[in-house]
Amino acid sequence: MSDIAVIGRSLTYRVGEATLIAGVDFEAAPGELVAVIGPNGAGKSTLLNLLAGNLRPTEGDVLLDGVDISEALPRDLSLLRSMLTQREPIDIPYTAAQVVQIGRFPHRRDVNNSAARDAAAVANAMATTDTTQFAARIYATLSGGEQTRVSLARVLAQETPIVFLDEPTTALDVAHQERVMAEAVRLSRQQRAVVVVLHDLNAAAIHSDRIVLMDQGAVVARGQPRDVLRQDLLSDVYAQPMVVVDHPFRDCPLVLTGRGTSH
Amino acid sequence: MPLAEVFGVLARKVGLSLFAEPSSQAEAVVWSIRMPRLLLGLAVGAALALVGGMLQGLLRNKLADPHLLGIGPGAAIGAAIGSAAGGVQGAIAGGVAAGVITAFVIRRLARKASIDPTRIILSGVALGAALSAWVGFVVFGADRATVPPIEFWLLGSLTGSTWRAFWTVLVFIVMAGIVMLASGRFLDVLGLGEADARHLGIDVDLVRTVLLIGAGAAVGATVGAVGVIAFVGLLIPSLLRPFTGPLHRHLLWATLAWGALFVAAADLLARLAFEPIEIPVGLVTAALGGPVFLWLLTRRQDV
Repeated sequence: MSDIAVIGRSLTYRVGEATLIAGVDFEAAPGELVAVIGPNGAGKSTLLNLLAGNLRPTEGDVLLDGVDISEALPRDLSLLRSMLTQREPIDIPYTAAQVVQIGRFPHRRDVNNSAARDAAAVANAMATTDTTQFAARIYATLSGGEQTRVSLARVLAQETPIVFLDEPTTALDVAHQERVMAEAVRLSRQQRAVVVVLHDLNAAAIHSDRIVLMDQGAVVARGQPRDVLRQDLLSDVYAQPMVVVDHPFRDCPLVLTGRGTSH
Repeated sequence: MPLAEVFGVLARKVGLSLFAEPSSQAEAVVWSIRMPRLLLGLAVGAALALVGGMLQGLLRNKLADPHLLGIGPGAAIGAAIGSAAGGVQGAIAGGVAAGVITAFVIRRLARKASIDPTRIILSGVALGAALSAWVGFVVFGADRATVPPIEFWLLGSLTGSTWRAFWTVLVFIVMAGIVMLASGRFLDVLGLGEADARHLGIDVDLVRTVLLIGAGAAVGATVGAVGVIAFVGLLIPSLLRPFTGPLHRHLLWATLAWGALFVAAADLLARLAFEPIEIPVGLVTAALGGPVFLWLLTRRQDV
């Protein structure tokens, strides 16, 4: 068995005539935080959905912890990977605590699991996402950012070795953006493979171990932040002049938008 | 009939003679007419309320009701045809088959309209109206001596309930009921939305298929025996939710008891309100359920 947790091999995804992803290879190892960046429509979310098994690739295959996901049962997948999606409204008046509790569903038949174990996982997940104070509030009445944090708590409570986060910092204030990214880093340091789709290039620069830059359904560059976040490359891919300097006090690049637009 | 006499009959049936010897006429009324009627009312009420609560979770829509969605009228077509062929058992078998088929038609509609909850309800209402008309065509084309009249099918009635009808319905309700009661936790996960339910290991298509077969069978069986008793499936879960909370694994058990009591009580009203004339029990449930439906419609955002 490979020690690479997430493997996507020559993934292609077509809808009708449109090719959303063309021949993408992807890898993420346990203990690694991989950021997927790129302009709107680059295929970042599509790639994440293919890796998580929400979409079936037209060509290519995905292995999670050595398991070919096209042959895995939904239940087995739910013990391997969790995913934070871009927010979907929940009409049912669940409380925040109930939403997080539902994240324990995959463990219901685990002989090592217990009600106390569930409760501890829920409490822990809510504490690390700073959502404990919303426990009794109805999820639908929380603000967008608060809902995202509760959903992240639900993902944490699932306790899977592989975690997919689709734009987890959207709609969050600066402090909670930092908190969510720090949580993603912490997950990766617990030997989980964490794959995050991000729009914020500096969040990717600061927090990720590796970056995959996508454009028009293909991978344009991949590697350590310094190798991917290059001025010429970013200006080209985003069709926008970009400036990359050294971060004043962190050991990583800092990306700024340049003057004017190239359109 | 005095209560003492009723208890006398019941006591004799379990081998006790606590009360005065009841007349054979009293025994016939209590044991052959009232008892199956009461039990059938309880069983039908439990089934309809359970299916309503389950469908509201499955479609993630508080306005879902088996009859409003058209399952009841669809089942009534099959039941009317079945009753021409094989009496009450034929009606139940026909109701079950047509109920399952109608449930799958709804499923196709629901797939296209899943984004807009109001649309699926409206499609169901339109489908139900069209199917109700077809019940009429079947009934008016059939032999009046063997097939019950249109008002039986569309307004429901427990008059003339038999032990045979009760036991036949019970078989289907128990089988479908076990499946639906076991689905509570799955429905709770599905409440997060389809995508997240998949992430949490739910085979959404399988759950939908199994539960719709269960709903179609349970509702179809009740329609075959007593016709369409409206609004029970809508009313009971909506009234209970404030007490049980939104989790289906609590809600569904409560619907069983309260649905059973509601229909049995509505039938008592239907029998006694205008004595000696009996009115269809569906009129009673609709008179109570209609306003509640309107109330839910106007405050849909926050229920």
